Amino acid sequence: MHMDVLQALADPTRRRIVDALRNGETEVGRLIDRAGVHQSGVSRHLRILHEAGFVSVRPDGQRRLYSLRPEPFRELDTWLAAYRSLWEARLDRFGAALQKRRQSRPTQKRGRRR
Amino acid sequence: MSNASTSAAPQAPTMVFERTYRARIEELWELWTSKEGFESWWGPEGFRAEVRALEARVGGTLHYAMIADAPEQIEAMKRMGHPTSHEVRARFTELTPPHRLAITSVIDFLPQVQPYEWTIVVDFFPAGESVRMVITAAAMHDEAFTRITIVGFTSQLTKLDKRFGGQKG
Repeated sequence: MHMDVLQALADPTRRRIVDALRNGETEVGRLIDRAGVHQSGVSRHLRILHEAGFVSVRPDGQRRLYSLRPEPFRELDTWLAAYRSLWEARLDRFGAALQKRRQSRPTQKRGRRR
Repeated sequence: MSNASTSAAPQAPTMVFERTYRARIEELWELWTSKEGFESWWGPEGFRAEVRALEARVGGTLHYAMIADAPEQIEAMKRMGHPTSHEVRARFTELTPPHRLAITSVIDFLPQVQPYEWTIVVDFFPAGESVRMVITAAAMHDEAFTRITIVGFTSQLTKLDKRFGGQKG
């Protein structure tokens, strides 16, 4: 997992830009409107997203069109899946430990604590 | 049932895990807040936790060692040149028995990662004869994740080695 993928998404403005790009290829002007981003910051945020692999850009006459790339999302998904499975395994052990304790202390009265 | 969702956490997506157990709430609570309870389940597969100090109060210490104890895990850590155990220093940052607790760990043992704090919050909701346990954790490294990180680094390095004609250690 590359930290820059997480860092790229750590910023709320960049998350808004990513959200706005989910509808498809978009030019900067419309991105500013849709994401509520201030014009002065948008290039910097787009550059960071571009460097982290989240967006690609192509010229179209005078315009520059931005779109999302799937790769970092796949990477995030894989990373989260690995994390999720670690916790699933851990919670399985929690359940097993709980059951073992219950079996070894069957006479414990309700509400009584050691 | 577990699910994960992304939140507006400043550093990382937050993950939510949820399980329901048929037990009393105090029994679940004890697995988090007593030495033997915590040791009986914490830690990723192939590791065990050995609690050095556990003070179940707000601000209380939770200090434990994560020790590789499965042969293949020990072997893997040694092969990578990493110690087979490391100390984790945490504290209880919230404690409302037996309903809610938070544990904040200092993650200062990851290679090439600046030390940072990592918090998990656990809520317990009794419902009839069961208790629903909800864990909210930032999806960052914890000690369980160290293994993946290390394995990740190592496989990257192995790839580089191959690319540059180096020998596998």
